[in-house]
Amino acid sequence: MGIDLLWPVLLMILLGAAIWKRLPVYDLFVSGAKDGMTVAVQVLPNLAAMLVAVTLMERTGLTAQICQWCAPLLELIGLPREVAPLVAVRPLSGSASLAILERILSQYGPDSRIGLVASTAMGSSETIFYTVCVYLSGCKDRRTGYAIPCALIGMLAGLWVSGLFFR
Amino acid sequence: MLLQYLWFLMIAASLIWGVLTGQGNSILPAALDGARNAITVSLQLLSGYLFFCGLIAIVNKLKIQQYLCRMSRSMIGSLLGGETDEPAAEAVCMNLSANLLGLGNAATPYGIEAARLLDAGSSKRHGLYMLLIINATSIQLLPTTVLTLRIAAGSADPNAILLPSLLSTLASTLTGVLLGVGCRTLSEAKHGN
Repeated sequence: MGIDLLWPVLLMILLGAAIWKRLPVYDLFVSGAKDGMTVAVQVLPNLAAMLVAVTLMERTGLTAQICQWCAPLLELIGLPREVAPLVAVRPLSGSASLAILERILSQYGPDSRIGLVASTAMGSSETIFYTVCVYLSGCKDRRTGYAIPCALIGMLAGLWVSGLFFR
Repeated sequence: MLLQYLWFLMIAASLIWGVLTGQGNSILPAALDGARNAITVSLQLLSGYLFFCGLIAIVNKLKIQQYLCRMSRSMIGSLLGGETDEPAAEAVCMNLSANLLGLGNAATPYGIEAARLLDAGSSKRHGLYMLLIINATSIQLLPTTVLTLRIAAGSADPNAILLPSLLSTLASTLTGVLLGVGCRTLSEAKHGN
């Protein structure tokens, strides 16, 4: 009971509703999947650039060193030190944080506390600076006022809540 | 812009650190391993994108976001502050509902349009800042990309993060919005209206 019913029920409702409304579900799925393919192709070079940097940091031991330096700061908000690089990069770059999350998941396992907290932190936050840039791209006046500080403090609050789980 | 400095900093720091700790020989293999990793990860992501983008194309046609928009219309109005005009509030509504459902590609054009209208519509930019805060603190209900990576990494319980993610993103958005309201009140008090 509970969360294991989420996907079967959700998929059944969505597909059932679409069939009920006589939507061409098969064609829609195929055209959506085509968009997905384009997205993945666009992501690959970005991921390559970021994974080169992240793997260099990891292999030279710099990542471990940074985690050690940041440990007191992260303990302050109740997060394991290993998520330090993810937290640092998350507001700046989506591909870099994806690259780091993947390294964390394969290094510590997706079901370890570190893997769970990292997944939650990633899933509940946004590429703040990029989002603000894109949204303001059509405006004459690009000032951001108090938006970025508020979003960053909000992200910190979200991270603190992420750390409350999986004890 | 910002990104290239981040990237340069990450690489330069690793090179210096690697040389200082006597690992000059492992630099090139590590770099190539990183690129090879990118292939594996983007294959994992490809499987997720194929499925979820296919599904999202169906969800998009179900017009759930239009429905959500109608439900939340008055709440959005008060979030943006009283002076927002109708088309701007409508665009914000569609943007937020699409983001809530994870329809990022559908949400962005609405977001840009909403920001443009809010920017043009009022000399005070509080509505615009609120739009930015809500979007920048993430409101996605189902983090599908993270789920994809967790499943690819062999998780026994990939869904374990769903409820915690939801509560965390709720906390971040709520904190951001409350701070935003605080900033708006402060600046209005300062300018005497």
